Parts: sequence; C-alpha cells; structure tokens
Amino acid sequence: MAEFKLPANSVLKIGKTYPAPEGARNIKIFKVYRYDPSNGENPSIDTFHVDMDNCGPMVLDALLKIKSDTDASVSLRRSCREGICGSCSMNIDGQNTLACTKAIDDIKGDVTVYPLPHQPVVKDLVSDLTNFYAQYASVEPWLKSDTPAPPDQERLQSVDDRKQLDGLYECIMCACCSTSCPSYWWNSDRFLGPAALLNAYRWISDSRDDATGERLDELEDPFKLYRCHTIMNCTNACPKDLNPAKAIASIKKLMVERKG
Amino acid sequence: MSNLRTPLSKAKGLGSAKTGTDHFIVQRITALALMPLVVWLCMSLAFLPDANYISVHLWLNSPFNAVLMIVTLIAGFYHGALGMQVIFEDYISSHSARIIAIIITNLLLFFFAVLGVFSVLKIAISG
Repeated sequence: MAEFKLPANSVLKIGKTYPAPEGARNIKIFKVYRYDPSNGENPSIDTFHVDMDNCGPMVLDALLKIKSDTDASVSLRRSCREGICGSCSMNIDGQNTLACTKAIDDIKGDVTVYPLPHQPVVKDLVSDLTNFYAQYASVEPWLKSDTPAPPDQERLQSVDDRKQLDGLYECIMCACCSTSCPSYWWNSDRFLGPAALLNAYRWISDSRDDATGERLDELEDPFKLYRCHTIMNCTNACPKDLNPAKAIASIKKLMVERKG
Repeated sequence: MSNLRTPLSKAKGLGSAKTGTDHFIVQRITALALMPLVVWLCMSLAFLPDANYISVHLWLNSPFNAVLMIVTLIAGFYHGALGMQVIFEDYISSHSARIIAIIITNLLLFFFAVLGVFSVLKIAISG
C-alpha cells in the first residue's frame, strides 16, 4: 500500500537544542532534520537559536551560519546561492523550495527545515535523487533530429518557435516539484514526475526536434504520464515559477490530438 | 541481482505500455455525460407525484425514461470502473494485489451494471 505512516526507523525524535550566543537579541529558531545513517539511530529534529542580527537574509545563510558557527556536521547541498543550480532544494516551513531564495522574514514563527519529502535520505538534508535524475535521463533530454544540421550555421528557429520554450527551458532540476507530488510519492518507480515530464515537453515543443512522435510514444503509459491527476502541487512548489502541471496537460492534449 | 541494474534501466522499467490515452478520454467523456444525466435523474425523481413503487414503475415505463436510465447506468458504472482502477493503481503498490483488486471490482461493477439494465428493461418491456 501507499505509505501513510512513517516506518519505525524513520519516526522522528527530539534532538539537541543549541542556544543563541550570549547577548543576541534578535533570535530566530530553526528546527532542522538530522539523520546520520552511520549511527543506526532514528532521525531527530535539532533546534538552533540563530542570532539574526549577525546572519544573512535567506534560509541558506542561516543554515551555513549554523554549519560554520554551531554544528559543522549539518549536511546539505548548496552551490550557487542564487537560485540557478537547484542544489539547496529542501522542505522549508512545509513547502519544497530553494533555501537560497527563501527569505527568513517570510516565515512566521519557527523555521522548520526538512529534506525533500519521500526520498531516501543520504544524511540530514541531503536526499538521494538517483531515481529522479535517471527518470530525467530516460526522457532523452537532448535534440533528436534526422535532419543534418546546416554545414555553415546553427539550426534556425523563428522567434515564435523559440517562445514555445519559455517557461520550460528554465527548469533547474531541483526536484521541488516531483517530491511535492503525491502521485510521485506513491509511484515514483513508474511515474516520471513533473520535472521529467516538463523536460520531456520542452523537447516535444522544440521546433528543431524531429522526434515528437517517438517521444509521445515513450510517454504513453498509465504510469509514466497518466499518474498525473492535476493535483498542482508541482506548480505551487516550483521555486522558478514554472508550471509543470500545464506542461503535463499539454502532453495529454497532444496524446488526444494524435488519436484522430 | 536486480539491485545491480543501473538507475536508468530501473527508471525505464518495462518501457511504455503504449496505452492510457483511451482510458483518459473515456473517463472524461463519461464524466461529461453523467453531468446532465445525474441532474435529469435527480430532477425526475424529485418531481415524481409520489415516492412509491407504483409511481417509479410508471415513470420507468416510458421509453424515454427507460433509455436515459440505461444510459445513466452504463455511463455511471463504466466511469466508476475506470475511476476505481486509477485509485487502485495509485494506492496499491503490490502488483498482484492491484491486478486482483481491479479484476474483482470490474467483475462486480459489470454484474451490477447488467443487473441494473436488465431491471430497467424488465419494467419497461413487461409493463
């Protein structure tokens, strides 16, 4: 059955509490998910009191401050700190988003920080996205054309054709959308999820690509595509303001269109 | 040794079933059909002179009502079967349990659909 309860070894415990440095007046509390596979213990929630007068404005700033000042063992992925690499995706204040673009001031009360939902956890806030990346690779996200490229120039595209890719090519593969989708939680072994489907549609809509029919053939499946029930969590979660639900609906529309 | 399969091989799985679109289309067409049909059914029953056996019997005796009732039954049970299939596929992760649940539900719904249609015909034809 679909999992509605945490397995026994995933039930959360209360972890350590770290007070703010003496003299701190503007304190924000961060409750951070901690899990270390090497000690055999259940995950726990550590509480960090962070001095906001001495901290950057984004959640990532606070996490890095915690890591450098309080507990160096806190594990998380991050790279660009400006919302373009997609590394620091996690569940903050109950919503999947990027820690680097989520302002602490936008969160009322304590800041809860969990890894992306319903994925295996490698350590702390680092989830295992192997299957997510493999699903992306499975939609063959590259230009496929039997037409040879012109010898002396690039493959041309009209301005209107190029516009079809807006709202699609910007995907940074952070996995916020797919891991917010209940259908993906229950069936991620077979449902491709919103990120892979949005990227599939990015190539389906590319005027330079010859493989539209083959791509649709590959997606026509009760699980790969049709597990999407238009729940729209994906669109809600996307930190780049893209609309994966619309891309999936467009794929379904093409499926119906080619029937007759 | 299935754990040594590559992640890409696992993601591709058994490949595309090349089906699902007909299910998607029929589920939506039956839903559209049921919208006016259910309104018609509720209104008709609400405006019966009496809520007793004889008035329902008389109402179903009319060919128009009988045919619409049969269409409602077929569309309703068909839509129900398609919907239950989706629910089982969503929530039952064991493949064998999922298939068994879908088959049993389809057989039950088919039985009730035939029972319903036969009952309407019996009333409509025998008077």
